[in-house]
Amino acid sequence: MNKMPICLVLLALTGCATVQPWERDVLARPEMSLDNAPLEAAIDDHIYFSKEASSGGRGFGGGGCGCN
Amino acid sequence: MKDNDSFNATLAAATCALLGSTVAAPVAAQAEDGGWSFDSTLLYYGESDNRVRDISAAVSTLRDFGDERKLSGTLTADTLTGASASGAIALNRPQTFTSPSGRAVYTTPADEVPLDDTFLDTRFALNASWTQPLARLYTVSAGVGFSTEYDYTHIGANLSLARDFNKRNTTVNAGVAWSQDDVDPVGGRPTALSQMLDVGDNSNKRDGSESKDVLDLLLGFTQVLNRTTVLRVNYSYSDSSGYLNDPYKLLSVVDPVTGDTLARVPIGQGPNGVYLFESRPDARTKQSLYAEVKHSFGAPVMHFSYRYMTDDWGIDSHTGEVRLRWPLGDGYIEPQLRYYTQSAADFYRASLANGTALPRYASADFRLGDFDATTIGVKYGHGTTTGNEWSIRAEYYQQNGSVPGEQIIGNQADREQYPDLSAVIVQFGYRFRL
Amino acid sequence: MQRPRIGTVAIHRLLLCFVLVCAVLSAAASDAPDPLDLASLRGKVVLLDFWASWCEPCRQSFPWLNEMQAKYADRGLVIIGVNVDRERAQADRFLYDVPAHFRVVYDPAGTLASRYDLPGMPVSYVIGPNGEVVQRHVGFRAALRAEREAELQKLLEKTQ
Repeated sequence: MNKMPICLVLLALTGCATVQPWERDVLARPEMSLDNAPLEAAIDDHIYFSKEASSGGRGFGGGGCGCN
Repeated sequence: MKDNDSFNATLAAATCALLGSTVAAPVAAQAEDGGWSFDSTLLYYGESDNRVRDISAAVSTLRDFGDERKLSGTLTADTLTGASASGAIALNRPQTFTSPSGRAVYTTPADEVPLDDTFLDTRFALNASWTQPLARLYTVSAGVGFSTEYDYTHIGANLSLARDFNKRNTTVNAGVAWSQDDVDPVGGRPTALSQMLDVGDNSNKRDGSESKDVLDLLLGFTQVLNRTTVLRVNYSYSDSSGYLNDPYKLLSVVDPVTGDTLARVPIGQGPNGVYLFESRPDARTKQSLYAEVKHSFGAPVMHFSYRYMTDDWGIDSHTGEVRLRWPLGDGYIEPQLRYYTQSAADFYRASLANGTALPRYASADFRLGDFDATTIGVKYGHGTTTGNEWSIRAEYYQQNGSVPGEQIIGNQADREQYPDLSAVIVQFGYRFRL
Repeated sequence: MQRPRIGTVAIHRLLLCFVLVCAVLSAAASDAPDPLDLASLRGKVVLLDFWASWCEPCRQSFPWLNEMQAKYADRGLVIIGVNVDRERAQADRFLYDVPAHFRVVYDPAGTLASRYDLPGMPVSYVIGPNGEVVQRHVGFRAALRAEREAELQKLLEKTQ
């Protein structure tokens, strides 16, 4: 798997337009959080891991209102 | 009697929980300082043809101690009954197998895919984690997990660190999780690739527990793309070592021309065919790349994710998932679609041909085979006037596999080669605050 | 060694233009009308707090801000809460749950927020009696309340 293009994409993304702290209203909505249903995600992962050979991949942190 | 779906599932739940999927998220509306917020769920999973049925209940709680310090814990209980495909292939006559305990036999009717002996198993799992800021832009999280069932126990711990950049538009996080699992199979651990013996004959089984260690590393990157879009990309590395076999899975030894399972005459009660216990390597390294995007189209929100996984067992998989959340009155409706495809492990064998040298590793476990799976479902959620939320979700899961042409021998072509699976999932959820 | 001679003079002229333009622009900025009318608050200690209805720590900060305003109003503390919600209704709903006993100014277009180039949310600027920003607090932490109150007290002594 050639990782170089992925690294370049990631680097390019950091140059994306910055969303200012006072413009985080939409991202602060609970349904826009990447981890807004952790229990459901854990249960799904449990079901799929017991029927398939792959697992997980999700992490945590980031997005949201960016407060504090 | 054990179904070893739970064998791997326990690890799965633990690993996933270890890597933070239950942490640091708003449960109900953010718990005020001093408040406890809860997320509870009841799930029914039922496969067609009387295979596996699972009922599970879970409660997760989050307590916010103020200043971004949070404690969360999850308690899960589930009851698994039924059986899944044992790995032996279908035959045009009834097949008899010795049960894992070695004390009884069970029979599969002619022309049906053999399933493990039916069992009942209850599992309990407990996970807890603590999150707090280390400095203004740094967040650390540590957690522990434990689960137990009749033949399996798991303990694990995890640690993660996240750092924000660029006015919190970018977050980089790194995490490590470690777990140790002990399996004590019913009837003892069978010697790999040994033959299934008669009732009362445990000469190929070894008592005592086997262990398995797993180390997981995660490197994640979350980036706000614009006012309405957020992206996350994760790279994961996982290393398992120890006892990775499923002690209950079999392979049928077949005639190299007809493809029919070799017959055997038991002394007293026992198998009426030649079946070998599977053998897997004692190490497995997996890597995956996962990306997800959430985008808001005004009120509706779309979530899309993709994961690529590859491991040193030769399995490659792709998972794509899309959900679209539409507000509906005081609630929302969220249709979901998931597509999964995996390639077979290098040592996956539909059956073993008699006369050919035994390979070092071989498994007919359908979970290591070549298949596609689709899930289609819908979730409906509704907020109550007190700020709590209930939800209901229904899904249909369908798995369709295939055996590589060169592995289909003789008469096997006329029979069901791969135990296709379909299941219904219904889940109720309730989030509340105290 | 030959160095390209294009524009040593031209570069100097460009730099001069750049400096002049910057000077004009910054002069223009400081002459822009101030919706907060901070000039009229010289001699007082002003706590300028940027908040939004979607900002969870703001819920925790309001009781403390109310307490500070009540306690030190007669010693010259003026708290101004600048709301950056795009929709006034959202701000109103927040204020219904968490009342503000201090002056609230609305900045839905984010003009003030951009001018101060907020580094995060919520942000508080502590402006001294001479009109200069003395301190900036990004985020609200309950653990820092005592420290922040002490800082205000020290500044308020100067107004006496």
